Amino acid sequence: MAGMCCGINVGETEPTSPVEPAARTGHRRRVELRQLKIISDMAEARMKRQKVGEEEKVEEEQIQLRLPASLSPPPLEVARECDNASENCSEVVAKTDGEEQAVVEEFPKFGVTSVCGRRRDMEDAISIRPSFCSKRQKTSHQSEGFHLYGVFDGHGCSHVAMKCKERMHAIIKEEIESRESEEWSETMIQSFTRMDSEVGERLANAAGDVSSSCRCELQTPQCDAVGSTAVVAVVTPEKIVVSNCGDSRAVLCRNGVAIPLSVDHKPDRPDELKRIEEAGGRVIYWDGPRVLGMLAMSRAIGDNYLKPYVIPDPEVTVTDRSPDDECLILASDGLWDVVPNETAVSVARMCLNAEKPPSPPRSPGNDAVIAADGESSDKACSDASILLTKLALARHSCDNVSVVVVDLRRNPL
Amino acid sequence: MTRHKCSSSRTVGGLEPGLETFAGFFERWLQEQERDLQDLIRVAKSDSESTQSVAELVNRVMGHYSNYYRVKSESSKHNACEMLTPAWRSHLEDAFLWIGGWRPSMAFHLLYSKSGLQLEAGLTELLAGLSTGDLGDLSARQLARVDELHRHTVREEKELTEKMAAHQETVADSSMVQLSHVVTELMHGGDSGNGTESVDQRVNSALVSKEEGLEQILGKADDLRLKTLKKVVDILSPIQAVHFLIAAAELHLRVHEWGRKKDAQAKESTKPTKIC
Repeated sequence: MAGMCCGINVGETEPTSPVEPAARTGHRRRVELRQLKIISDMAEARMKRQKVGEEEKVEEEQIQLRLPASLSPPPLEVARECDNASENCSEVVAKTDGEEQAVVEEFPKFGVTSVCGRRRDMEDAISIRPSFCSKRQKTSHQSEGFHLYGVFDGHGCSHVAMKCKERMHAIIKEEIESRESEEWSETMIQSFTRMDSEVGERLANAAGDVSSSCRCELQTPQCDAVGSTAVVAVVTPEKIVVSNCGDSRAVLCRNGVAIPLSVDHKPDRPDELKRIEEAGGRVIYWDGPRVLGMLAMSRAIGDNYLKPYVIPDPEVTVTDRSPDDECLILASDGLWDVVPNETAVSVARMCLNAEKPPSPPRSPGNDAVIAADGESSDKACSDASILLTKLALARHSCDNVSVVVVDLRRNPL
Repeated sequence: MTRHKCSSSRTVGGLEPGLETFAGFFERWLQEQERDLQDLIRVAKSDSESTQSVAELVNRVMGHYSNYYRVKSESSKHNACEMLTPAWRSHLEDAFLWIGGWRPSMAFHLLYSKSGLQLEAGLTELLAGLSTGDLGDLSARQLARVDELHRHTVREEKELTEKMAAHQETVADSSMVQLSHVVTELMHGGDSGNGTESVDQRVNSALVSKEEGLEQILGKADDLRLKTLKKVVDILSPIQAVHFLIAAAELHLRVHEWGRKKDAQAKESTKPTKIC
């Protein structure tokens, strides 16, 4: 085991490997600052790793407590407003209306906030796709909706992140539907690979598609130096499938405990470092560890100029849902750089458990209408996402901040 | 003079006709801002103010900002160059100027910083579901609007920066290069006849067009500053606006003082005395 300690299985062999870079000042880019302490939590996270290590069987210890009654359908007719800083709202509504879903469906509850923050450019994108795909379940008579939540944190420009937002769910849907059995890891890896090549194609024949308002000049070679993180959670009635590539992160709150469902891809993560070096690349410390001294993450969608050192392959974790699950938080490093997992989880939890929403209807501003729309559960998720965002800003996050909070509690009706 | 005294209790008005420079007006504006600040602080601390009276105060203070920019714009018509290199500012402020004033996107950093401080201070209450009423309490809708305004402002700011860049580059346009050459020739050739006069005219008109360009850009920059301030205040509730305006005034006034102090010290230290 010791022999491979600098390599493949960080999670289990290197609980003490957190890297604490010294330089803290003036980091505008996604860098240092990262307390890779997540690693110690890995046992709980039950990571499903592709590269086989011994311990990972843990992953199959299941808490299979399905509560058929709890799946009762909340009223479908109301497409709630999501009052957040997100242009996704309308899409969400349209999407839900458009799908001819069975009425028996767990209606997803979520809150989204995405702000530019202290950066001058917005490079984050968020994708919320309720019931983006349904798969007939052998065990049940209805088709059950799969919901997708994605956070994409672009670098170089926003267009790769935007492309992920537009296309990722559609690609994943196709990949899911093209398979007979649920092969999550394979499905997601294939999806990310396709996403990556679509981004590459787009850049290659960029002339056709210059409509989006990029600040980079699409026709130039430096377009190659554009990429995005991707953390995507597919929530099914039974499972939470998180696929991650880059340094955005998904954290599950289970019974009050913060369980990271992804491990950031930083160039100094021992297994990533080894992979990069074996591919002939180098990690150079230049304002934190960077691949070839440039990119401060070891995996990303796009970034053709750093291939094969920077790869688009996601690490996929499949977690069985448990009645103890409270919420799932997906966010860009604008949040995680300044708010630890545990804090984020406890803030989100308090918002979800608040009898009345943290910003009362009479709170200042023009939000009275929204507060009064009666959809308290979504309001709670929104409150959670917004409070986390404000907390990140309060703690001097100098990046874009994007936060998605998904309520995982089953309605005990 | 009596008019001046009377007006000082409410508003600093405009330039004193014929005798006041913008520098003089600026001093009075600082005093007005200090008075406004005291009023704002008093209201922020009081629990008994009605929403209406808070809103009135916010309006009054905003009126003072509008007036400041009105006078500044008038003065720019006479001397844009002076307004762009304001002698009434300290070196410290000077170093952080963007087109003759504060950078508009700073308003959002100010808001986020103040809001962050108040959020951390009131976190327990906020988590317990209580309202703090200040900037820590920004709602989802407010944050969304602030974010949108922020992006919009940065865009406009970048456009103006580009405009300024393009205008600065015209200093080396053909007419200027030619004129500078002609004048140099004249100086060395010793030709001081009629030619010089017409050349002087040409120099004047060339410089006037450069100044006009500057005045226009400065005007747009000031518009953006005032517009940003107004829009941020519009998004906020009256009492939140009070907190925001307090932060703005405090920062402006104190940075000005620190800069002044630094300048004074620097002056002092150029004398042959000890430097610590």
